[in-house]
Amino acid sequence: MTRFELGIIDSRNVIKTLHDVYNYDFKNYALTFFKRRVELFIAKYNLKDADGFIRKIENDKDFFELFLQDVCVETTEMFRDPSLWRVLKEDIIPSLARESSHFKIWFPEVSTGEELYSMAIILKKLNLLSNAQFIASSISELNIEKIKNGYFDPKKIEVNDSNYSRIFTDDTLSNYYTNENEKVRWDTSLIDNTKFLKQNIIFDDYPKGVKLILFRNQMIYYNQILQERFIKIMYNCLVPGGVLVIGNNEKIEYWNSEKDYTLIDKTERIYKKKLA
Amino acid sequence: MYKAVVIGGSAGSFQVITKILSSLPKNFPLPVLLCLHRLKHVRSGFVEALSIKSTIPIVEPFDKETIKPGKGYLAPSNYHMYIELNKRIALSTEEPVNHSRPSIDLTFETAAQAYRDKLVGIILSGANRDGALGLKKVKQLGGLAIVQDPNECQVKTMTEASLKSTQVDHIFTTQQIINFLLNLKE
Repeated sequence: MTRFELGIIDSRNVIKTLHDVYNYDFKNYALTFFKRRVELFIAKYNLKDADGFIRKIENDKDFFELFLQDVCVETTEMFRDPSLWRVLKEDIIPSLARESSHFKIWFPEVSTGEELYSMAIILKKLNLLSNAQFIASSISELNIEKIKNGYFDPKKIEVNDSNYSRIFTDDTLSNYYTNENEKVRWDTSLIDNTKFLKQNIIFDDYPKGVKLILFRNQMIYYNQILQERFIKIMYNCLVPGGVLVIGNNEKIEYWNSEKDYTLIDKTERIYKKKLA
Repeated sequence: MYKAVVIGGSAGSFQVITKILSSLPKNFPLPVLLCLHRLKHVRSGFVEALSIKSTIPIVEPFDKETIKPGKGYLAPSNYHMYIELNKRIALSTEEPVNHSRPSIDLTFETAAQAYRDKLVGIILSGANRDGALGLKKVKQLGGLAIVQDPNECQVKTMTEASLKSTQVDHIFTTQQIINFLLNLKE
């Protein structure tokens, strides 16, 4: 079966509709990515083509929420890149805790929540969970509800467990989830200290005084204009000396960016905001 | 004149690809986009292994890196690698396609859209059907489709799937692929 292919004019029309009707502006998303998400969505709901998509979505807010959920790419697994989590556990978090007894950690797009739960488990293991305040933003209301309920895809158990065993050997990840009739559910008390924020693509209201930001493999879905805007927003949210973690193959690069951030771990892509 | 070469391979393709990369001239005039199936938990080592033999520099690109001639771009482990219309690399952690991330189909399809009739697509030895739809797209948009001779492949599944879905331009042995690429120089 051949999939409907979104042309450049179709993309423009879709973006215009989403902007006009819902005030969500996707024009600075990476084009190949956005095109693919819309195409997959059209196929999933049998909408035939771009006009079908536009007709359905402009009159149906719930349907728009389903689209926002599908635009947020599911985080592939818990503790993706175990070597990064080891650095967080052994180095970054302990030094945050030494500086202050309470600290804010922000997830600018929490997506399906794996990064949030992974971080909560690391802090729990370090006996620091009650010292942290998590702020989890997302463009998807549906994902936020899903994260709060704690259910996750049982197919991922194996890779999640194996990642965990590359970080901790004294217990297993299964201490933090339960099996409830075919469904797997995180211990939701892990995220009791989390403030969820439903956000538009560009933040109107973002947290202040943040010590650590985890924003891995999300900016890859933006073009350079939106990437740069986010990096500057995050700069304003971080305290001087605050830490920003981005994905393995991402970098912070704009005019004079070395005046704002120092790369402190080249392999794991950890940056520090410079002291004024 | 072509503007880019995209190569996909899986099981049995490593030796072929190193042979190709070691035979290119240092000033090879096109970028080489490589999507090879690889172990997801082994993040490092692969690009180094390719670089030892290669005459052109091979990198695992950063997101939105500009594609330059005479350089090889290897899809990083556990990411899809797309080619944007403005000839930059875009990475993605979207769901696997054909059980693969990186998926050869996605790199080929997006490269085809970016380079249209200025693209050479080459499918090498491999054990699944990934790449067949991608090569079809290359051909549809006017690019040149090449498949490694299945008789020479360690595993034929991938090349045979491509041959089934596409009327390819050439079925080449490794040496013929090399000769073809060397002729692109002129």
